[in-house]
Formats: sequence, C-alpha cells, structure tokens
Amino acid sequence: MSSTDSNTIELRKRMKRKSSFRNDLDAWILFLPSVLVLFLMIWRPTVLGAVWSFFKMNAYTPGDFCGFDNFRKVVTHTQFLPTLWNTVQYVLWSLILGYLPPVLIAVLINEMVHFNNGFRVTIYLPAVIPGIAAMLMWYYIYYPDQTGLLNMVLVKLGMEPFAWLNNPTFVIPGIMIYSTWKGFAGTMLLYYASVQSVSVELYEAALIDGAGIWKRAWHVTKPQLEGILLLCLVNQIIGVFQIMEQPLAMTGGGPNGASISLGYQLYQYGFNSGGKGTGQAMALGVIVFLILMVMTVFYFWLNKRVEDRY
Amino acid sequence: MKFRKGLKIMSLAAAAAVLCGSLVGCENGGGSTSSNGKTQISVAGWPSKEGKDKENMEAKKARFEEANPEFEIVPDNWSFDLKSFYPKAAGGQLPTVYGTHFTEVSQIIAAGYSADITEQLKKDGLYDKFNPQVLDLVSKDGKVYAFPYATYALGLAFNVDMMEAAGLMEADGTPKQPKDWYEVAEFAVKIKEATGNPGFVFPSANNNGGWIFTPVAWSFGVDFMEKGSDGKWKAIFDSPEATEALQFIKDLKWKYDVLPANTLIDGTEYYKIFGTGGAGIQITAGDVPSKLTQYGMQPEQFGMMAMPAGPKRHVTLMGGSIQAVSNKATDKQIEGSLKWLETSYTPEATDEYKKNTETDIDRRLEKNELIGIKSMSIWNTDSEAVKFSHKLIDEKTNANPNHVKLYNDFVADLGDCKLRPEEPVCAQELYGILDGCIQEVLTNKDADCAALLKKACSDFQVNYLDNLDY
Repeated sequence: MSSTDSNTIELRKRMKRKSSFRNDLDAWILFLPSVLVLFLMIWRPTVLGAVWSFFKMNAYTPGDFCGFDNFRKVVTHTQFLPTLWNTVQYVLWSLILGYLPPVLIAVLINEMVHFNNGFRVTIYLPAVIPGIAAMLMWYYIYYPDQTGLLNMVLVKLGMEPFAWLNNPTFVIPGIMIYSTWKGFAGTMLLYYASVQSVSVELYEAALIDGAGIWKRAWHVTKPQLEGILLLCLVNQIIGVFQIMEQPLAMTGGGPNGASISLGYQLYQYGFNSGGKGTGQAMALGVIVFLILMVMTVFYFWLNKRVEDRY
Repeated sequence: MKFRKGLKIMSLAAAAAVLCGSLVGCENGGGSTSSNGKTQISVAGWPSKEGKDKENMEAKKARFEEANPEFEIVPDNWSFDLKSFYPKAAGGQLPTVYGTHFTEVSQIIAAGYSADITEQLKKDGLYDKFNPQVLDLVSKDGKVYAFPYATYALGLAFNVDMMEAAGLMEADGTPKQPKDWYEVAEFAVKIKEATGNPGFVFPSANNNGGWIFTPVAWSFGVDFMEKGSDGKWKAIFDSPEATEALQFIKDLKWKYDVLPANTLIDGTEYYKIFGTGGAGIQITAGDVPSKLTQYGMQPEQFGMMAMPAGPKRHVTLMGGSIQAVSNKATDKQIEGSLKWLETSYTPEATDEYKKNTETDIDRRLEKNELIGIKSMSIWNTDSEAVKFSHKLIDEKTNANPNHVKLYNDFVADLGDCKLRPEEPVCAQELYGILDGCIQEVLTNKDADCAALLKKACSDFQVNYLDNLDY
C-alpha cells in the first residue's frame, strides 16, 4: 500500500468519525430539551424522594438523617396492612372486571361487518371525558339517596335504595366498575390493533378447517395476542396499584377506611398532614416502587418466556 | 440543511428555556424591594376576576401606598389551601402576607413558615390589646406568629322554612333554642315529620366529622388526651362518656332517623346538603353565610342559634381566621405587612378601617350573603372598631335579625358555656380517626361504639401520640 492510499484511508476514517460525532451532537442537541424535562420532572424528584425518605423532613425541607425511621413509621402504622390489602383488592377487582372485556370487545369489533367504526367510537367516548368530571358523574350515579341514578332505577322497580359507595363491601368493586368503564377503551384499542395485525390467511385456513368464531379466537387470535395480553396485565396491575384519584374524589377513603389505597395514603401523608408526613410519603413511595419493581422484573421474565416460545 | 439548523436552534432555545424556567422556579420568592426602592409586600388572596372585588382591593392598595409611600403592595392571586401551601412554603414562594384558619396555624408555626411578629405588634401598640386567649392560639414559646382577625364560636345553623314548618319558630322569627343534644334530635324529628327532609346533617369525611364531633363529645364529658408528668401525651377517649357521645351520633341515624342517606360527607358536601335544603339543622361556625351563597340559599332562608349543652358540660369550639407573614419576610416587610393588615383589623375605628369595613359589607351584600351574624371580638377591651362594625351590620342587615339573634347573644355573652380551642396536639389526625368511627356507626347498625373507640384510641396513641414528630 502506498503512503498516499494510507493517508486517504486515514482521512476517510477521520471524516467518518467527525461526521459520526456531528450526527451524535445533532442528536444530543435535539434530545436535550426532553432530557432536561425528564431530569427535572421525573428523575430528579424520584431520586431525591428516595434519598429524602431516609431523612427527617420538616415539611418539604430535609433535616437530619434518620435511617429507616420513616419506613418504620409507615409499616407500623395500624392502617398500613389494611391499606395494602385494600390496594390488592383494587387490583383483583380491576382484573376481574376489567381485564377480559377489552379483549372480547376487540375480537367482537374485529368480527363485525357493519357499524364497526361507529361502535368503536361509541365505546371510546368515556375515555375522552375528563377524569374528575367522570368521577363526579359516577359519584351521583352511585349517590345513596333516591336522587342517585341507580337508586332511582331500584325505586322504580319497587326495591329499597342501596348504599353503593357507602357500603364497605361494595365500595372497591364500585370504584373499579367506574375505572373499567373509564379506562377499558384505551386497552381495547391496543388489542384491536393487535387483532387487526393477525394475518387474514390464518383465519382463512381456520375457516377452511371448519373453525367457528370461538375456535378462531382461541386457536388463531389468542396465540397472536399473548404478548400484548401479558403487557396489558402487568400495566394494569402497576396502574391500579397506584390508584389514588378515585378514592380521593369519590369516597375520601371511606367508609371507615374501606377504600383507602396506598396511593391515597401517600397523598394524605404528602399533602394532608400539615407537612408532618412528607418523610413517610417518600418512604411509602419507595415501598410502592419496590413492590412494582418486583412485578416489573417478573413481567420481563414472563415476557421472555412467552417470546422464547416463538 | 436549513431546516435541520433551525430545528437545532429551536431545540437549544427550548432547552435554555426549560433550564431558565427551572432556575427561576428554584429562586427565592423574589426580592423585598422594587426598582424604585420601595419595600414590596405581596398579598395573597387577591381577586383574579375583573369586577367589584378587584376594584375595591385596587382602591385599598392605592390608598395604602399613598399613606405609606415606602411600601408597594404586590397582588398575588394564590389563596391558602393545604395542598399547595407546604410545597410553596418549602420553595420559598409564599406571598409576604397570607390568610389561613385557626385549624392550620399550629402546624404552620411548627414548620416555621410564619414570621415572628411579636416585636412589631408591640411597636404598633396592638400586642396588649388582643384577647390573650385568642393570641395564645397563634403563639409559641411566648412569641406571636400570626395576626388573628376573626373568631367564631360553633353554634347551630337552621333552615328557617323547615323550622317554621315544624312549628319551631316564634312569630317574630326567633327560633326555639334546643337546650341539649337530645332536644336537637327531637327538633330534627319534628322537621323530618313536617317536611319529609332530614332534620339534621353531621359531617363524616376529610376530618370534618372529627372536627365537629369534638365539641359534641366535650359536652358529654369526654377528654381526648392528657399530658403525663413525664411530658408524654396519652389518648384517653376510650371512655363511657365518649361511647355515649358516639352513641348519640349513631342514634341520629338508626334511632331518630334524621340524617341524610349519604354517610360520606366532607366539608363541601356538608354545606351543599344544608345550602340546598337537604337538612334542617347543622353545627357550624359564624362564617357560614359565605359558604352558602353559592347554593342559592337566600339570606332570609337560614339563621343561627346557640350551641346546646351536653349531659356534662356546656362547651363550644372556637374557630377563626388569621393572617400570617411569610418566614422569608424582612423586618421592613413585617412592618409593612402589619400596617397593611391594620387598615382592616384594628381596635380603633380609624377612617381607613371604617371605609374598608363598609366596602366589605357592601361587597358581601352584592353577593347576596347574609349580613347579620356578629363575630366575637379579638380584642380584650371595648373596641370602637367592633362597635362600629356591629352597628353597621345592624344597619345593613338583609334578613330578619331575629333569625340570628340567639347566636349573636350567645357569642356576646357565653354565660356558662366554655369556649375551647382545638385539641392541643395532632388535632387533624384525631379528626381523621374520629371520622372513621362516625362513618362506621352511620353505615353499620350493629356497630359497637365502645369497641370502635377503644381501637380508635389505641390507633391514635400508637400512630400519632407515640410519634409526635411523625
């Protein structure tokens, strides 16, 4: 190789490095606003919250290091275990009421020949109503005297009015009925998109083999949806585990603590304790984070196993 | 290429804006002097909507700045609320002067977010003129940390139409006064029989239930806590007296059947139920008219009377409002803040005070708020300002004065009734726990009051009194 060739190669390499650096720089500059926003709004508060959970907080100002004292106060609070159990109940009820209906409706819409789009839009409507407005609407649907919508119906049918959200047994399922009504359309669209992506040839083959709608759903659609089903399961568990706004707006955590969730308790520590509970709010935030991390790791493990099958 | 360059510049500009915004956010709530060398006093609760309220405040600001040229009033639309207060305070973003309530003041003082105004009060000659009992509520270790400006005693508000329908009003519009709680229950039964509506409403959520329950329980002879010789607090409300008090609340639901069907009633719902004619009687403070106008309740439609006695005591809870000065305020700002407050709250009937009081009453009249209820004096002597204010209320009242006569007589001379401040420690937490007991007895016919209170007492001890700095 002549020295001219080697110089040319070296020059090209340098130019390539320079160009790659310039590309990286461009990317970083474009990326910078998002990174800054993420840093200020998500990463910094998350890390600071975790660090400050080990400090005695004077309202929102950290004081002396206190080790695990905030954590001790949270877990020895007599309401901690009932609240944890309430939160688990929220998750269980959300799965019972809200996990399968979106799948079924997505499959149904996929099979519909007429009015497919109209039905999809109608179903999506609750998702576009602002959250607090929808909660207040349901608060009055559930209102326990005869002015509540459901009680109007019961009274018309000659029955006694029911206490609805004032009933400690019904309150969590009642809130989850609202949440399912409000949130299932978004999940349904995810499933619908996945169902749409299933190859038509597979259905045709199943049809030729004489498979009906349920067999097609079970043998063709379900295997194609398993990944997204798993993702939505974990998303739903993580989302519902942090439930806060619904008990706040609809029941205030009552009756007698029957609808207090960990998220609501965290909010109470953080914003309704006159600044005395901010340390515990952060400690409880860390506890919830750890619980959700375990679930997320489990999700990745499960997801890998599902993917390995294909 | 040009597009990419433009995009990059925009990205850098956006990043710079985010950074600057965050740095501005981190900065301490602004300087204390303006460019023209005046000391700035930012005042919370400034009306944001154009209209009479805002015009009145602007006029008051102009008069103040003319009389005190070294100060400049800076309007701040933020009003006190518990959720935003502590984050704002921690970020050093509090306005120089902000209003809040007696229920919050001890926690604000403990967190150090209100300035010590003792010296300035002494300089202004006000320190010795305050009612010591009132001043004590805003003091810690002998230092005063807030300016109390209105005090109320809890009493009973009633719906005039419902009381009339139940035959519980005299011909001149004076209500019949229930002597004790059991008579209140009888009144409520009569109202329900006559109108079909609940005769009474009792709050139960967001600490409101506990707050209203404490004076009821005191009158049954309940003491909620005591300080031991070792300085530690002990919860002592798992007592027969407390059981009797809670049983009374339970009886309102299951024996007398005079409560609304909803048993999760927070502060908003409490006033909404009463304000929309959903209940005949409620326990409330004298500042209730401002909370009822939004529900269209006319001044003639409600009145107030005295707090009834209980089996063991005649007692009521003192409530009220304060103005505090931010802990970040300089001495000069504290001086200006108090000057500003003294234009509306002073024992002397100065021209400025008269002007501001009249404007305030006219403003409330325009909102169709009941004018007639008189607050207790915050001063320890006969105050010319209070006399002027009460005379003006008499002149401008927009309802039958007999509707509120019994309450006004009550606060003017409490007689054998004792006025008590809130419980000394962890009051809000106590209210939260009592809320749970009230909700349980209102939703469960078979609830065991004694067992509930035993658990509540133990929870309060373990969760809060044993962790006072929780």
